[in-house]
Amino acid sequence: MPQNEYIERFQKQHGRRLDYEERTRKRTARESHKVSKDSQHLTGLRAKLYQKKRHHEKIQMKKQIRQKEESNVKSSGPSEPSSTPLPQYLLDRSQPTNAKALSSAIKNKRNEKAAKFSVPLPKVKGISEEEMFKVVKTGKKTAKKGWKRMITKPTFFGPDFTRRPVKYERFIRPMGLRYKKAHVTHPELKVTVQLPIISVKKNPQNPMYTQLGVLTKGTIIEVNVSELGMVTAGGKVVWGRWAQVTNNPEMDGCLNAVLLV
Amino acid sequence: MKTTWKEIPPVPTSQEFLDVVLSRTQRRLPTQIRSGFQISRIRGFYTRKVKFTQETFTDKLSIILEGFPKLQDIHPFHKDLLNTLYDADHFRIALGQLSTAKHLIETISRDYVRLLKYAQSLFQCKQLKRAALGRMATICRRLKNPLVYLEQVRQHLGRLPSIDPNTRTLLICGYPNVGKSSFLRSVTRADVDVQPYAFTTKSLFVGHFDYKYLRFQAIDTPGILDHPLEEMNTIEMQSITAIAHLRSAILYFMDLSEQCGYSVHAQIQLFRSIKPLFANKLVFVVINKIDITRPEDLDSGTKAMLDSMLKSGEVELLQLSCTTTEGVTEVKNAACERLIADRVAQKLKAGTNSSGSVGGRLGDVLTRIHVAQPLGGVVREAYIPEAVKNLRKFSKDDPNRPRLARDIEEENGGAGGYNIALKEQYKLEDEDWNHDRIPEFFAGKNVYDFIDPDIESKLAALEEEEEKLEAKGYYDSDFDVEDADEADIRMKADLIREKRELIRNEARMRKSLKNRAVIPRPAQPKKLSAMEDSLDKLGFDTTAISARARSQSRGRSVLRSRTGTEDAMDVDTPTNNIDALRPKSRARSQSNRRDDGVTNEVARSKAERLQKLGQKKMNRMARQGEADRHTSAALPKHLFSGKRGMGKTQRR
Repeated sequence: MPQNEYIERFQKQHGRRLDYEERTRKRTARESHKVSKDSQHLTGLRAKLYQKKRHHEKIQMKKQIRQKEESNVKSSGPSEPSSTPLPQYLLDRSQPTNAKALSSAIKNKRNEKAAKFSVPLPKVKGISEEEMFKVVKTGKKTAKKGWKRMITKPTFFGPDFTRRPVKYERFIRPMGLRYKKAHVTHPELKVTVQLPIISVKKNPQNPMYTQLGVLTKGTIIEVNVSELGMVTAGGKVVWGRWAQVTNNPEMDGCLNAVLLV
Repeated sequence: MKTTWKEIPPVPTSQEFLDVVLSRTQRRLPTQIRSGFQISRIRGFYTRKVKFTQETFTDKLSIILEGFPKLQDIHPFHKDLLNTLYDADHFRIALGQLSTAKHLIETISRDYVRLLKYAQSLFQCKQLKRAALGRMATICRRLKNPLVYLEQVRQHLGRLPSIDPNTRTLLICGYPNVGKSSFLRSVTRADVDVQPYAFTTKSLFVGHFDYKYLRFQAIDTPGILDHPLEEMNTIEMQSITAIAHLRSAILYFMDLSEQCGYSVHAQIQLFRSIKPLFANKLVFVVINKIDITRPEDLDSGTKAMLDSMLKSGEVELLQLSCTTTEGVTEVKNAACERLIADRVAQKLKAGTNSSGSVGGRLGDVLTRIHVAQPLGGVVREAYIPEAVKNLRKFSKDDPNRPRLARDIEEENGGAGGYNIALKEQYKLEDEDWNHDRIPEFFAGKNVYDFIDPDIESKLAALEEEEEKLEAKGYYDSDFDVEDADEADIRMKADLIREKRELIRNEARMRKSLKNRAVIPRPAQPKKLSAMEDSLDKLGFDTTAISARARSQSRGRSVLRSRTGTEDAMDVDTPTNNIDALRPKSRARSQSNRRDDGVTNEVARSKAERLQKLGQKKMNRMARQGEADRHTSAALPKHLFSGKRGMGKTQRR
């Protein structure tokens, strides 16, 4: 009964089959032919998957080539700081890498300044009322009325929300489309955390939607950032912070937002 | 209990896993959807996709999860072995990750199915489905490492030897290079590597052998070095696991020649340090390589140490040499014997209750065991007949020896010249018959077919009957020849038969329809001549009846008339007024229009030709008649419209 590493043992005792090397060599030699044949003849889903795989492989290949080429070129900066001290007026020169970092820092600063008064998504596509609301028919056979609306987009309403009596409830906000948490990205820290929503501050589509708590792309929401442990200049822990919704929650089934800082 | 795990299904890599699941969804579900469909249908379509993908994921993951052994369910030995080989924590975490992933995927599917219920358009549905599948795929991609790990575990697990922890087991342990594997090779057929360096055996090996018709397993363990348990590596830990958990006889191998590179002192020390593991087990110290050094050859100090090791009583010293095979079977037999005795004793002890009687299942078995003793010691001798006892011993030189067939052969010409007279040995009623010649065939018949063993008695019975009949005068009356009456009857009978046969033939001819319609007998035309014939045969006068038939017949048509051919007709002048009126009152048939106005056959054929000419075009156009003015559609819609799949007309 073969047990444990019997394959290795067999190979140690008897070696591989005689044409093993020849076969492996041939297989590698044929590899490119097979690739060519596959990329020409595959159809349908297989072709799609195959092309995607090839695409990735090619990108990797090109990256490698580029890395190789770059490693051959000598970098402009010296590998280590020179032992002889430089005069003050020459300090800024001969360090192109430094210069680059400086310029990008300036650019960033400018950006930030502008960012103070802007939001990451300055413009959104309009949503028509037909798309937003579905008419719900009320009344019996003869007196069917259409004064009731159901909101077809995700909404936020607080934990203490109670529905109004059926007779007075003009807008229905379905429970299935209720969101209580959002995936909030901190743009500087580049981290994403799931935070509870406190309220909807502004819906760019319509002030009424703000009231209703509709969450669409571009909506400003307030989130509870106490988990992040952010501190104000005065040293107080920040509790609520604003964030802007960056995706279409009704399409994705989740709510992504960017923290406004 | 399971001792091998060879049939765990292969674990795919995360990429393969994903490909399998997604392409299955693509292949097994409908793919055609249009935005014009009812929204409920669109929702259903995408819901099905999400659910199906989730089900596939769940199925595949649970197959993997069920395939691997659960550590709490298997024998402690296997549990520990798996722990040393694969790290139980790592193993458990990997399986846990899979099961978490399964759970997460189920949650995602539930969430997105819920969201799909509120989707308003095809695009939205599609995006939701995409998001759902994407999130499932992400979860699956995160399983990359556990899946790779589990695949490796699976492959290794499948190659582990099948060790039954409860069967009769000899466990071979000791320092590296003391000849453990050589012993296993010499007692079993296991193909174990034996090399002159330490740690040739890196894992447990199993061999099987039979002793006293019982199957034993011998387990070869990797060598152990004498250091604390915490410092032992995976290879040594396997030995320790086996020693600790298997219910076995332990053969502790020692090499007194110190060729293995470890001193006798160190070997004794190791024995002492692993002694706690030998509790409740049979332990044998086996001295290997006695072709080089025997225990007697040791110096007094070492000998004393060896003796002190054996002093406690439960340890037995055995000696063998694998190279010269001296003592190998003795060691094996001694160990097996002790092991069997020990196991039986343990079993009895376990089955004995507090009062001292054997109860339970063991008691049942014991009561059923009965060892048969022949006759309670009475000696019964075999019966030999007197004749046989008095039989003289055959010898060639004895003149009174019985005559043998061989002697007869010698007398009559020896081998080749003599034929055994088989006929002499026939057992017939009369011995004189033995040499009668009987032909095999007589008058072209096989004689054997006519042999009747009772022929004599039958013949006798017949003769007796004959005699009786004769005595009665049965044969006395004269038997006259047949008379004229009988001849007449015979002749008539022949006629009747012939006639019947003719009728039958005729009917048969008629009955073969040859694809024609069945015509009832009254409707069948019967020729007048046939009637006349049959009546003639019967001997009736037919003139009157045939005249009547002719008078009622309509006669021949003009075309068929034999005008000019027949004899001048005799005029049938009516005798009275009533008869004269009769033909006038008969209903006249309508004139045949085909024949009207056609004077003779030439005119007739001409008319027919013209008619054919007139119908020629109509027939060619496949018209139903002159009135058929139908114009069919040039491009019938039902033939030229509809779906066409598989590319364009040019490229199919």
